[in-house]
Amino acid sequence: MATTTATVGINSSDLTDDTLSINVSKQCYKAGTTLGLDQTTGLNRLYVTATQQFDPFPVVKGTTNAAENGKVYIANLSTTDTEYIIVGIGDAVIGRLYAGDWMWMPWSPKAQHVNDIEITPSVATGMHVEFMAIHNFANIYPDSADS
Amino acid sequence: MATINATIAINSGDLTSSPISINNTMTMMKAGTCHGLENTSGLVRRSFTATTLVDLVTVGAQMYGTPTASKANKLYIKNTGTSTTDYVDILIGDSETDSGEELLATGGNSKITLGRLYGGDWMLIPFEGTSNNDIMVAPSTAETTTVEWMLFFE
Repeated sequence: MATTTATVGINSSDLTDDTLSINVSKQCYKAGTTLGLDQTTGLNRLYVTATQQFDPFPVVKGTTNAAENGKVYIANLSTTDTEYIIVGIGDAVIGRLYAGDWMWMPWSPKAQHVNDIEITPSVATGMHVEFMAIHNFANIYPDSADS
Repeated sequence: MATINATIAINSGDLTSSPISINNTMTMMKAGTCHGLENTSGLVRRSFTATTLVDLVTVGAQMYGTPTASKANKLYIKNTGTSTTDYVDILIGDSETDSGEELLATGGNSKITLGRLYGGDWMLIPFEGTSNNDIMVAPSTAETTTVEWMLFFE
């Protein structure tokens, strides 16, 4: 099994009167086990030139992944402060990643369209976006008939 | 104006045939600016002793302030446990009714599961903060489960 570790540090010396320092490190396991997640989409890097929504990790039509576990990393590599991507799941908006922002979250995709992750760029003038899933799903990306 | 830095490192020597090493640091800015976020909920620690679906982070006015919707807000959540089998489901939507049914989160009472945080797992996501976009948790066990979270907002 693979060993993948995700570490976060959140630090600020002036957000509050006292220094903020959060540091967490955790291995990525299959659901309910200490076996490491053993599949990945790889780190995708796209130059998006439209404001059209797209699915970075489509779920295969007619399948489910209810018992599996996964992690998702998405980053907006733009350097223009006003440019952002809207990240959603199903029909819900999770939030906006502005230039330089990244996110990391668990993901349990179920049936197609129910909780697909969606990305919508704010501009059509072009920006780089990176994304990666680490998982043990049987039924996502790349062979999908998703819309 | 505050400076809040969040750094992620994703490393693996054997997930693929070549090592993976991703390192990225963001400074949490207000939407569309180079000015840092200034407000926070503080690090909240909350324990649950039932498997009931609960609002963890609710949109709108709160005791720590009112996050502005559709901005560059960020939300950190951690399951502080150590169990590899117990987890909390993280959901987005509205928990008021229909707790047993997962729908597309377009109505006032539907929700979508993001994923599971097992013991020690963490997440850092943007927080939209519009109506029907509460962040909820549903523990998998009635044993005490403690979750920490912190919202950075404008």
